Amino acid sequence: MRAFLAILKREFFSYFVSPLGYLVLTSFLLVSGWVFMVLVGALNAPETPRMALMSTFFTNVFQWIFLMLISAIIAMRLLTEERKSGSIETLLTAPVSEGTVVAAKFAGAWCFFIFLFVPTALYPLLLSRFGGVDPGPVLSGYLGIALIGALFISAGTFASALTKNQIVAAILAFVLILGTFILGVARDFLPFPALRDALSYLNILEHMDDFSRGIVDTRRILYVVSTVVFFLFLSTRALEANKAR
Amino acid sequence: MLEAQGLSKTFYGTPAVTDVSFRVESGEILGFLGPNGAGKTTTMRMITGFLTPTAGRVTLADVDVTENPILAKRSLGYLPETLALYPEMRVREYVAFRAELCGVAGRDVKARVDEALSKCFVDDVAQKPIGNLSKGYRQRVGLAGALVHKPKVLVLDEPTVGLDPRQIVKVRALIRDLRQDHTILLSTHILPEVELVCDRILIIDKGRIVASGTPETLRHQMSQTPSVTVALKGEVPEADGILRQLPGVAGASRIGAGGETRVTLDGVPGTDLREAVFKESILRGWTLLELTPREASLEDVFVRLVSRDAAVEVDTLPGSIDRNADTPAHGTEARP
Repeated sequence: MRAFLAILKREFFSYFVSPLGYLVLTSFLLVSGWVFMVLVGALNAPETPRMALMSTFFTNVFQWIFLMLISAIIAMRLLTEERKSGSIETLLTAPVSEGTVVAAKFAGAWCFFIFLFVPTALYPLLLSRFGGVDPGPVLSGYLGIALIGALFISAGTFASALTKNQIVAAILAFVLILGTFILGVARDFLPFPALRDALSYLNILEHMDDFSRGIVDTRRILYVVSTVVFFLFLSTRALEANKAR
Repeated sequence: MLEAQGLSKTFYGTPAVTDVSFRVESGEILGFLGPNGAGKTTTMRMITGFLTPTAGRVTLADVDVTENPILAKRSLGYLPETLALYPEMRVREYVAFRAELCGVAGRDVKARVDEALSKCFVDDVAQKPIGNLSKGYRQRVGLAGALVHKPKVLVLDEPTVGLDPRQIVKVRALIRDLRQDHTILLSTHILPEVELVCDRILIIDKGRIVASGTPETLRHQMSQTPSVTVALKGEVPEADGILRQLPGVAGASRIGAGGETRVTLDGVPGTDLREAVFKESILRGWTLLELTPREASLEDVFVRLVSRDAAVEVDTLPGSIDRNADTPAHGTEARP
């Protein structure tokens, strides 16, 4: 557990000493700020139907595509960098299992993903000054984002375990994440109802729609958690495979 | 303390290490010597659990590395050949990270880190980012990281590579000091290093152990042609001719310089030429200034043991089999 926390801490803080970390932080703030501004403007127009602003903020596709890209970038260096520089040798000869290393690295990156959203807490605070904001759906919305973030980052962790090249890892992660997203959205065009039901859990927009309206569905949580565990398991296996090669 | 039994590793059908067995007793420094590509790093990676052996087993402090890796690795400190630290971290941060990684309790971390930093002479750069340090400092930071949790066994893969002469002397002294608390396995391709630092030597070539023993026994075993250097007062032009006639002499060569005559005699294996030379000198009325048996140096042993092409390769590397301990290890190995 101590080793887990040590790796997590190192991973999380390493984003704050790299230009990449600040680039991600800044670009995310710019995009989310711009999305927020546009939404405020749009909802102010008299012809728009009345709806909760934060809910639309959480569910708009544009922001999600951007988050997929950002997650791929956050996760791309996780294992690639260690393997390329050779520092993985230090980690794996320490008294920790491969699984702990993978989980701790994932957790560090995930914490950074969550950290991105800390400044956006300002938006509901700002809104509450001018009108009513229902805190429940806002909180569950953030929970939904954290879960989807875990899904994205775990896919990125897996991609980073497969290659020593960060660019390849980023592209692979983005393809994996986008593939999951498209499968979820495209399910309506599928002929088999059973498959459609299964894939509905993949539909990130539906997932966020539920969460942003305050519906915390344990099935959705379970789906995300099990997918994350699956990806981390695959990453661990990929790491172990190097050992026995 | 550290035991390897029948270790073998095959990479995609190509054997890298074949049937390597040895023991390191506690408090001992074992030198692992071999030309580049002999299988030193592969063996060390198997010992540290970074690679799974194709066959054989490793125990660290009586715990099997493959069966119980986490427990076994508690007693291990490892300095890899490709020293990769996190350049963005400060020295103190990094060593503390290594301590936590190895499960040092939170309240002990500070004391342990202080101890490791001062042991490795890096306390003066404790607050500097690792990326700004010289190679010598980084090597010692790596060493501090490897021993911060006080492991019973230290595995050091080429610890002095890329250091300048003063740092090499410092690091070697440090390693000798460490034997009080740790059992050490050290790999190198620099010969004087093993002679200076190690209690016992293991020579590996093409993945197999070709010799083992203390530096002295190795030299004794391998001195196939006992040779003697004789120095006589004055110019004695006929000296080599006469000495060549002595029983047991296989060859003689003479260098006359500065008012003395030096003759090098090569003997037939198993003979001691000193007595015969002494008596002959008295008989001839020569003044004997010097009579030195020359033992085979470790280089001789090494070059004879490692296979021909590997030996040639070693020869072409300047400094790699340099007798002078204080010579910088320049150009020892071209790294990608």
